[in-house]
Amino acid sequence: MADKPKVKIYSTPTCVWCRATKEFLDEHKMPYEDINVAQDATAREYMFKRSGQMGVPVIEIGNEIIIGFDKARISELLGLRT
Amino acid sequence: MPYDVIIVGSGAAGLSAGIYAGRYLMKTLVIRGHFGGETATAGQIWNYPGAPGMDGYDLMKNFQTQAKDAGAEVIDGKVESASKDGDCYNVTVGGKTYHAKTIIFAQGAERRHLGLPNEENLTSKGVHYCVTCDGPVYTGKTIAMVGGGDASIKGIIDLAKYVDKIYFIVRAPALTRPEPVNLGDFGKLGDKVETLFDTEVKELVGESKLEKIVLSKELDGSKELVIDGLFVEIGAKPDVAVPTSLGVALDKFGYINVDNVMQTNVPGIFAAGDTVNHFGPFKQTITASALGAVAATSAYNYHKKHGELCTKHWKVNPK
Repeated sequence: MADKPKVKIYSTPTCVWCRATKEFLDEHKMPYEDINVAQDATAREYMFKRSGQMGVPVIEIGNEIIIGFDKARISELLGLRT
Repeated sequence: MPYDVIIVGSGAAGLSAGIYAGRYLMKTLVIRGHFGGETATAGQIWNYPGAPGMDGYDLMKNFQTQAKDAGAEVIDGKVESASKDGDCYNVTVGGKTYHAKTIIFAQGAERRHLGLPNEENLTSKGVHYCVTCDGPVYTGKTIAMVGGGDASIKGIIDLAKYVDKIYFIVRAPALTRPEPVNLGDFGKLGDKVETLFDTEVKELVGESKLEKIVLSKELDGSKELVIDGLFVEIGAKPDVAVPTSLGVALDKFGYINVDNVMQTNVPGIFAAGDTVNHFGPFKQTITASALGAVAATSAYNYHKKHGELCTKHWKVNPK
């Protein structure tokens, strides 16, 4: 079985959809790296270059970028059953 | 069998309705669109009794747990359509149709936009409608806030924790609507906030991201103001497309028209929360919760009197 792609969440501490995304991944026991773009200016620039977005969350799954808490797309890319 | 009640929306009104309907032992389905509604994105809430300073998202999670514990079923999705089916109602979500004896519309309201030509292109690219979501992205930056009501004042107080400079753009000549306690905290922000009264945003400039805005009058010799981000807090408009398709009447402001027990003009259909204007502009977690509780009680009373008609219709026309 192929390894699951790496998951990175570009988030802020107060963003509710970031929290919802992380809770969703936690429920499915899916590991992820949480990157706080309020503190990490380099990551913020990277997020904008990759997504064109200054809004969070931006989710990077392998080479794919997802804007916002798109449960269906996240599930599809990670092969999760919802 | 059809649900006794389908509740459209999962903010304070919808989840409160879910708690009450569940405790009335009604077969209850809550359709969760934007979880938690306005409360979830409000940050810390200081005026909801019994939970001082609680984060709005956490408060809504408690509401949801309480609704589920009371027996309400919760599904994700946006209602695509609804229709009358004999003495029952059909509600379609994600291509699947659910059936109910009553409906409570508590789907809230959408944030108002400025209505400027470039606005949709620049949304989340410098133009934002949620301070708690995107405010911290502007750490150390210069931003502007458009508003004048309490939400904009609360937003500025939150933004001031992160940003270097805030231009507060207010169409009115003075601040008259915010809560005094919030105005007090706002007043302590000092030079970090520059308030521009009698001023409007006329243009948003930028292609891949917002670069500057054009104001209705000059500031320091220019109408152009270079900023990194713009936050818009100018109220909300109710989401009424589905209820009006069922013949639900609106009031003169575009909210669902309800009586004192949250009954609409269509039998078996009720509404609560920010889709109604029951308390005028005073739209709070506590008022939305109260309206949801009243709507659920009215749906229960209607169900007791008329629910059997839908059950009979269902038996003759099974799905």
